[in-house]
Amino acid sequence: MDDKGKMDRKEAAEKALREGRSHFEFRPETRRFLLANAVNIAIGIALVIIAWWAVAEAMIAVRGAFFPTPPETFSALWEALGGAKINGATIYFHTRSSLVRWGLGYALALVIGTIAGMAFGTMGRAYDIGMVPVYIVQMIPGMAWVPIAMLIFGLGESATVFIILMTALPPIVINTAGGIRQAPPIYSRVALMSGKDHFSLFAKVLIPAAALPIINGMRIGLANGWRVLIAAEMVLGTMVGLGATIEDSRYSLDFVSAFVCIIVICLIGLTIEKLLFSGLEGVVRNRLGLEEEG
Amino acid sequence: MIASLENVSKVFTNPRTGKGLVALNDVSMDVGEGDFLCLIGPSGCGKSTTLNLLAGFELPTSGRVMFKGKEIVGPSPERGVVFQEFSLYPWMTVMQNVAFSVSKGRTKEEREALAMKQLELVGLSDFAHARPNELSGGMKQRVAIARALAMDADLLLMDEPFGSLDEQTRRKMDNEVLRLWEGQGKTVVFVTHSIEEALMLGTRILLMSASPGRIDREWKVDTPWPRDPTSPGMVALKKEISRGLQVCSCANGAPKAAFVEIQGVDDRPEMEV
Repeated sequence: MDDKGKMDRKEAAEKALREGRSHFEFRPETRRFLLANAVNIAIGIALVIIAWWAVAEAMIAVRGAFFPTPPETFSALWEALGGAKINGATIYFHTRSSLVRWGLGYALALVIGTIAGMAFGTMGRAYDIGMVPVYIVQMIPGMAWVPIAMLIFGLGESATVFIILMTALPPIVINTAGGIRQAPPIYSRVALMSGKDHFSLFAKVLIPAAALPIINGMRIGLANGWRVLIAAEMVLGTMVGLGATIEDSRYSLDFVSAFVCIIVICLIGLTIEKLLFSGLEGVVRNRLGLEEEG
Repeated sequence: MIASLENVSKVFTNPRTGKGLVALNDVSMDVGEGDFLCLIGPSGCGKSTTLNLLAGFELPTSGRVMFKGKEIVGPSPERGVVFQEFSLYPWMTVMQNVAFSVSKGRTKEEREALAMKQLELVGLSDFAHARPNELSGGMKQRVAIARALAMDADLLLMDEPFGSLDEQTRRKMDNEVLRLWEGQGKTVVFVTHSIEEALMLGTRILLMSASPGRIDREWKVDTPWPRDPTSPGMVALKKEISRGLQVCSCANGAPKAAFVEIQGVDDRPEMEV
């Protein structure tokens, strides 16, 4: 939208009052909102760091034990980003190994979950039967899959991918199926009276109508997978990876490296959540007309 | 005769609660070609059920619902419905919503040209690329009408299409429907609970009553348009219909909530793919 030539808020309101008009437009204060948002986020991050620092100093003072403080950790992070090796490899290598495992497991969950969710969402009987195992699987905590994964795949890569798949899958199925079932019946009626076949009904009506819950399921699945990945790496004897490095600090006592990995994990998680999913959700909400176009 | 109900009964049952409801009991009616038929009656008297049967969204429990000599077995583009609630797809533009319902066998350009023509007819061509949420309630229903027209349906089924609009907008919309009906040579079945609306529009007015749903009386109205609701003839007719409405067994109305709850169960089948 072209905002040039528009007045600011106060001026425009006064002009509208003077001229006796009921609707008026003014230049949106986008920059002010962006700035306020950035400040709020910065304050939030600062609070976390302050709390962490306070705990660290308290532990050092009370127990006389070592506890990585924010400055120590950030300088180690800086070195790690510069290429210093931790746990026998660079932070990039650890991150990439974790991301590949997670990507594989999550991709599998997306494909299986979306197809199953769509099938369950459209067929009443399949839903009633199929959702039972889905809820059972959902109730199994991520780490409880470790022995099952070990029995099927042994230690290592495949076991980790399997655990990610099993924890990411249920929310994707549940939300996809639920979203399709909750699409207003009138949407289907319109499609059917227009002579649409079941494929069009599905692709052009039910999927868009269920877009928000579907994205929500993908999002929860993603977070589930990411959390369990780190945990799974810690027990399944994978040698590299962010989780493996955290686990290794128990023996190497390199707690600073563990903290560096924790920060990297948080950053990646936040990036995916905020950039990818919030953006995607914004686009969909806009398309669904749930928000005013900006 | 373009459509008819032949001894139609419609029973809704909810096997979970063990409750049943007779929405229509042995109803027969016919819709003549070019009719503007208004169905009036209080909530729960089976008006919407009658319309859903004609649309093919529901199938009768017994009896037959016919359209152009054939039994109706499901929804069809030959019968366009304008729903009571807003029914546009919010993720499509106004144009896409209308083009979506243009019948098959046309290219995208042809669909859009046809959609545009219908939007012009309802005076919304300037809003072709707007999204439904940018439109007022009246405009949304006009798009829904354009969509039904784009289907090339000979029979338009309108289920209290302007019930949620304010009085002024409703009157305006009534006149537009009348104009389209006259200009396009369509047949309209129009459900309303407003006697006045029926009087202003219909060539025939059917009064339905509930418990169980059936047709009580019919009036033919041949007053030319525009009709004056204060003319002696109209006032007399309004009185007569009001009396009919009060006399009918459903004066207190069937509990709408129970009706919907029971209908909910039978309402699902068309969702199954």
